Amino acid sequence: MTNPTDLPVSGNDPANIKLLKAALDSSISGIIITDNTQFDNPIIYCNKAFEKLSGYSREEVIGRNCRFLQGNERHQDARGAIRRAVLKGEPITVELRNYRKSGELFWNELYISPIKGDQDQITHFIGVQNDITRRKNAEENLIYERDLVEQKIQERTRELNENREYLDSVIQTIRQGLLVLDPEFRVISANYFFLKTFKVEQRDTIGRSLYELGNGQWNIEQLRTLLEQILPTSNPVLDFEVDHEFPHIGRKLMLLNAHRIELEGDFKDRILIAIEDITEIRASEVRKDDFLSVSSHELKTPLTTIKGYNQTILRLLPADINPKIHSMVSKSARQVDRLHNIITSLLEMSRIQSGKLVLDLEPIDLNVMVGELLDEFRESHSSHVLSLQGQIAAMVPGDESQIAQVLQNLITNAIKYSPDAREIKVILSEVSNYAKISVTDFGLGISMEDQKMIFDRFFRVSTIQKHFPGMGIGLYICSQIIKQHGGTLWVDSEPGKGATFSFTLPLDKERKNG
Amino acid sequence: MAKKLLICDDDINIIEMLEIVLDDTPIEIITETDSKKVFELIVERNPNLVLLDLWMPVISGDEVLRQIRESEQIGDLPVLIMSAAQDGKEIAMRSGADGYIAKPFDIDELIAKVEELIGMN
Repeated sequence: MTNPTDLPVSGNDPANIKLLKAALDSSISGIIITDNTQFDNPIIYCNKAFEKLSGYSREEVIGRNCRFLQGNERHQDARGAIRRAVLKGEPITVELRNYRKSGELFWNELYISPIKGDQDQITHFIGVQNDITRRKNAEENLIYERDLVEQKIQERTRELNENREYLDSVIQTIRQGLLVLDPEFRVISANYFFLKTFKVEQRDTIGRSLYELGNGQWNIEQLRTLLEQILPTSNPVLDFEVDHEFPHIGRKLMLLNAHRIELEGDFKDRILIAIEDITEIRASEVRKDDFLSVSSHELKTPLTTIKGYNQTILRLLPADINPKIHSMVSKSARQVDRLHNIITSLLEMSRIQSGKLVLDLEPIDLNVMVGELLDEFRESHSSHVLSLQGQIAAMVPGDESQIAQVLQNLITNAIKYSPDAREIKVILSEVSNYAKISVTDFGLGISMEDQKMIFDRFFRVSTIQKHFPGMGIGLYICSQIIKQHGGTLWVDSEPGKGATFSFTLPLDKERKNG
Repeated sequence: MAKKLLICDDDINIIEMLEIVLDDTPIEIITETDSKKVFELIVERNPNLVLLDLWMPVISGDEVLRQIRESEQIGDLPVLIMSAAQDGKEIAMRSGADGYIAKPFDIDELIAKVEELIGMN
């Protein structure tokens, strides 16, 4: 052995060996030396750091080939690189998956340096090992995170695509023509139903001005004015009816609604137009109205004859007639009136529903009207005592026959639902600028839950269904009639203590219309 | 001289009933179920009041009323319209009727209106 000049102590002083060994044991890298001159290149040295790193003690390592550190993974990619470097006698750094004695995996960054003898043959290898598990894990985590992000992006993209397709399919399936316009009223997109309704194609539509479509069907002065207000004011165009002879499809009644798309960014200042063909709906409404008015006319005509005969019979009956006969004819007459009321109610309900209840407004003297009505009731209902209190000085604008119908209904109900109490009170008063009429009975009363629903169509209080037959449309019609007059109908009641139905009517017309 | 009332309704039952109802009044009743013939009948019989139904085949009551109003001879003739149609009153007033009564009516009310328009009170 030569006497290297860079050794801490000169010559072959054993102190040199001791110092070098101490240096090796101080290293934080695991260091091993293998003897290539012996069979299977066994480990002949390992430092303390190697013992710590591998978990094996020196005794367990010496004499073995390094490959045992690879556990079952004997075919790692790095082995080829090691073999090639060994053949060339060059140093190499590789990363290997190694296993500690405990079986735990660690990433070993291995630097292999061949040591050559006098004849240039490799006598030893020095392996320097560093545990890079943490770095590898961080790298792997990074890759994993990147993959995860990638995966999430793909998922989001897929979701967005699905959403778009879903919305697209909704828009394409919806049975209403839809157009999206730019601020210059040029068509950006049209859905399938629009194209189908107007028997047109995308190329007839997209990119063209709304006003140029077809034969200029939407080029209506009034509609233009409304549409031009959409973007500056955000006021939508609601239920604009266009009755027009359209190309390809003939005369149709179209209902147009337009809204500003309230989005910022790419979709800012776009206008969404929905067009619905209401030709058939309108025609069927007209047919229904016709049917109702014809059938009610046909029902009322024979009633006129019956009523006339009933009244004439009653008038012609001799004074000494068997009272039973008189009573039967009277009852028959009352049933005719009832039938008439039912027909009127059905017709009115249909009108209320289609918003066609027409009020024939005239100034009404409520004192006279109520007085006369009560007189009629007193004649036909001796079972109850009807009293009238208070008065209303001013004339009230209203449809007399309808207001009378409301009052009639309320009094009839008061009588009907107070079979065991005799008194019915009608009270007239003026409250602020309203006339108020109240009908109070001391009968069955109405529970709080039922009070909320009695003004609904066809609602009948379930507990009285059997004993007091009726259609359950009376109060609905009453409340609608009062509402149309600009007043309110309400009830105050406690079960078992009777009920007070009250309604108001505005005293002056201005107030009502405002 | 008895006042004359001409009644035109396509429903014979209404006519028969009205004849009985008005039987004990001193009014002379002329009836017709065919609205196509009523104008000529009016000119011929010169009634004091015409009681017209609205919904009649071929010529409706409001058309008969318009013919009357457009006629120089009988343009001022009082006409009372009766109808079971929901919009009957509106049509009657628009066409220049002197009065309207909705079917089914109260016979006292009908008699009162007839007597008023015929000039008996």
